[in-house]
Amino acid sequence: MKSLKNAQTPAHSSPSFLRWGLLGLVLLISLLLPWTLSPLWIRIATEVLMWAGLAQSWNIIGGYTGYLSFGHGAFFGVGAYITGITMLHLGLPFGLGLLISGMAAALMAVIIGYPTLRLRGAYFAIATWAFGEMIRQIATILEITGGAFGMQLPAYLNLPFFYYLFLLMTGLIYLTIYLLLERSPFGYKLLAIREHEEAAEMVGVDTVMIKIKAFGLSAFFPGVLGGIYAYWVTYIHPDSVLGAVITDFMVVMAFLGGIGSLWGPFLGAGVVQLVNRYLWLVWGEGTFYLIVIGAAICAVVLFIPSGIIGLLESQIFQPRTAWKEIRKKVKW
Amino acid sequence: MELFLQTLIDGLLIGGLIIVVGIGFSLCFGVMHIVDFAVGEWVMLGAFTGFLLVSYFGQDPMIYLPVLFIIFFVLGWAIYPLIYRAISGKRHNPVLMGLVFTFGLSILAKGGALSIWGYHIQSITTWLSGKSLALGPITIPALRFSGFLFGILITLLLMFFLYKTKLGITIRATAQDREMASLLGTDVRKVGALVYSLYAGVTGMSGILIGALFSIHAAMGVKYCTLAFFVVVLAGMGYIPGVIIAGLILGLLQSFVGVYVGGRYNLVALFMVMYGVLLITPKGILRRGI
Repeated sequence: MKSLKNAQTPAHSSPSFLRWGLLGLVLLISLLLPWTLSPLWIRIATEVLMWAGLAQSWNIIGGYTGYLSFGHGAFFGVGAYITGITMLHLGLPFGLGLLISGMAAALMAVIIGYPTLRLRGAYFAIATWAFGEMIRQIATILEITGGAFGMQLPAYLNLPFFYYLFLLMTGLIYLTIYLLLERSPFGYKLLAIREHEEAAEMVGVDTVMIKIKAFGLSAFFPGVLGGIYAYWVTYIHPDSVLGAVITDFMVVMAFLGGIGSLWGPFLGAGVVQLVNRYLWLVWGEGTFYLIVIGAAICAVVLFIPSGIIGLLESQIFQPRTAWKEIRKKVKW
Repeated sequence: MELFLQTLIDGLLIGGLIIVVGIGFSLCFGVMHIVDFAVGEWVMLGAFTGFLLVSYFGQDPMIYLPVLFIIFFVLGWAIYPLIYRAISGKRHNPVLMGLVFTFGLSILAKGGALSIWGYHIQSITTWLSGKSLALGPITIPALRFSGFLFGILITLLLMFFLYKTKLGITIRATAQDREMASLLGTDVRKVGALVYSLYAGVTGMSGILIGALFSIHAAMGVKYCTLAFFVVVLAGMGYIPGVIIAGLILGLLQSFVGVYVGGRYNLVALFMVMYGVLLITPKGILRRGI
């Protein structure tokens, strides 16, 4: 009963014209952004867009379905490498490479998910984590990936092109999530699985199939984003695209923003990436950001499990109810 | 043939240490239903604490084993309330929250260790290092052998504690049916705290042996995390006696792959085995997991 009461449902409180207007404004600003910013800031904006897409794709399986994938970075890396291989060794065009990358990532997800998604969530978390580690090791062994030295893609230095490409892809991801998970039976089935799996099965949801589909979908997008990333940075190696830190970032972004919500991962990605870049500008390269990520994950789990979006959706900004809402949302 | 026998012995000896890492982890999962992603980090912290103790106070690392156990027992006791908070309370998916929390803890510990010690590789030497027993054509390194003995000893102690003492029976009852145990007057929270501290103590303590056997560096946790995961999947999650067999199998697998295929294929081989086990008998090779 408790779990049902606390189930997160999309809030429809604010008037819809306001929401659509706001969305339109954000889109307009993001379309005009490359004309006004310096290259450094375009770069950062591009990264924010990429991470927003990645965090949202993690959110499909982690937030909406309630199965934690701790090896999601592997799909990103696989996408990056496959795009590189199709362009370098097979001579295929970039767009086709992206499609193949996405498909390959989704196929891998189905293979991993098939035995593990019928078990408890802990098995899935372990298996995906181990899968991520294995893929990194394979990338350093194989010759076609260039081993530990990595891979040099044909250079295409056009920052606004990649900005728009990431904008398009991330926009597509959010549109897909909105249509498929917020507004269709598929999404309701996923929520049912997250809230009470036995009950969902009882009322006739083919839980295993639905979960495998969701996992495949959530792996397809990182595959494509990884491909774009590879072409953008032109040089990839196992640590840069397959490092465990990619998964760490996806998890912290989705959680900080609020899992299982449409805009949570976007907010989380913005906040985390801006803080990360700020730390990077101030302190340079280091490992300190790992402490910040880890502490942030722990703090969010302990104190604001519904994330930033949970705080925003409550009436926390109205003076009369603020204290009550804080007491409700910030667990102490 | 000699190589084969040597590989066999090496594998069994390593298996002894894998059992220590796996057994606390399995116990912890059995009681709290939480996969502790920080298991490798406990090993790493144990190794570093041992290294610091040795470099400050001298003496042989082996005498610090009980000290490490106490340090990590206290540390586990201190951290447990946070984990308990994460897995209980008004959250709509406690298990998920617990998983993410330990995941965050492991990143925190790894980041801390990397920031303090960097990527330098340290090592500990004991009076056993470099000594070995010769049994005909095969040699048994004394350190590995003592690690194996330590593993067996810890396992026996834990088994005795779990199966013969009243407290141990309470722990097993809690693992079997949490609600029923709490109805019968068990303080489930205290049992959880005890189990988590025991697990942290044992795992941290094994860190110094692992550090003496191999090397100590801040990113070493990943390897032991993987091993602990494979052990419990093979053994069946939460089934303690299975850990012994699974640990030995994994030790053998690791050493045979290392010798006959190549050390870099280790993780790939381990993953294939785990995938096969999950596909065929998801409850572990003895079909006794939960």
